Amino acid sequence: MDEKRQPDGIVLTEAQLKSRRQRSVAIALALGVLVLLFFAVTLVKGPAVLVRPI
Amino acid sequence: MSVVDHNAIELGPRISEAEVGDYIALLKPRVMSLVIFTALVGLVIAPGHFHPILAFTSILCIAVGAGASGALNMAYEGDIDALMSRTANRPIPRGRITRAEATAFGMTLSFFSVMTLGILVNWVAGALLAFTIFFYAVIYTMWLKRWTAQNIVIGGAAGALPPVVAWAAATGSLSIEPILLFLIIFFWTPPHFWALALFRSDDYARAGIPMLPNVAGPDATRLQILLYTIVLVAIAFAPWPLGYFDAVYGVTSLLLGSGMMWLAIAVYRRREGVEANRATRRLFAFSILYLFVLFATLLLEVVVGAVAPMVIG
Repeated sequence: MDEKRQPDGIVLTEAQLKSRRQRSVAIALALGVLVLLFFAVTLVKGPAVLVRPI
Repeated sequence: MSVVDHNAIELGPRISEAEVGDYIALLKPRVMSLVIFTALVGLVIAPGHFHPILAFTSILCIAVGAGASGALNMAYEGDIDALMSRTANRPIPRGRITRAEATAFGMTLSFFSVMTLGILVNWVAGALLAFTIFFYAVIYTMWLKRWTAQNIVIGGAAGALPPVVAWAAATGSLSIEPILLFLIIFFWTPPHFWALALFRSDDYARAGIPMLPNVAGPDATRLQILLYTIVLVAIAFAPWPLGYFDAVYGVTSLLLGSGMMWLAIAVYRRREGVEANRATRRLFAFSILYLFVLFATLLLEVVVGAVAPMVIG
């Protein structure tokens, strides 16, 4: 019973796992920057954030 | 005999091994740097006060929008990029990223850059950025590039729009100055790209792209380069006598314009052999310097104008 059970389905290689982790971190950072940007601009514009010239 | 054909195509799902660097390459960082620079000039010469955070947001959105255009361009041109030595190392021909992944990436960035610019800055700039992306990805990449030898003349409008978008971001409207910047880049594009096309004509022929040297021949291209350079030099100089930009810009424009004219005449006159090749490469390299120094002069004038009173006073 010591045998390790192979997981079902697709098993990612080390390279695939590493690149997926890298991409996930990049997406998280990009979303973080977007949140900070909206926060900063809201502070700059104050209540006028919804008043935009068309 | 084995029943299973081991040479059969693998049918399992494709798991991406693309790294962040591959996605950054899709954004065409070198083109993006020129877009950031020209947009910065458009932003800085705009009148009135513009909050630094809004200025940063505008430049960021314009840069991301330009990157999105690059990704959509590479997604569509994956087939011909593989045929040209200049583009064969891009992520799609190398098999790092699929065309569908690049399309999704480009569309996502387009959406976010336009919406962010519209919501946080203003919708004139947002709409202009959307138009720029559409013009580059659809009008130029999908339509003009494979259809007409005038591809880069008309398509050049997309590359000329970033300073206009930046001006619109700062002012909420348009004026003569950003249109002058647009015209300078617009008329700079043909001599720049046709010089490249002259010494890369084999590449373009292999990919089946109707660049002017392949369609009309090298001599006709040399004449067109010369004619467009004359127009470019005149348009780049005109803002000084018209009173839009001052004497420092005017003199710089004259000096740089003389260099462009000299090299364009050399391209026109030297038509064969190593000398001809060297002349086109020189014009291509100098054209990059020309645009950079011309715009840097405008940028420096504003910076010096802002800093000098503080230093003196």
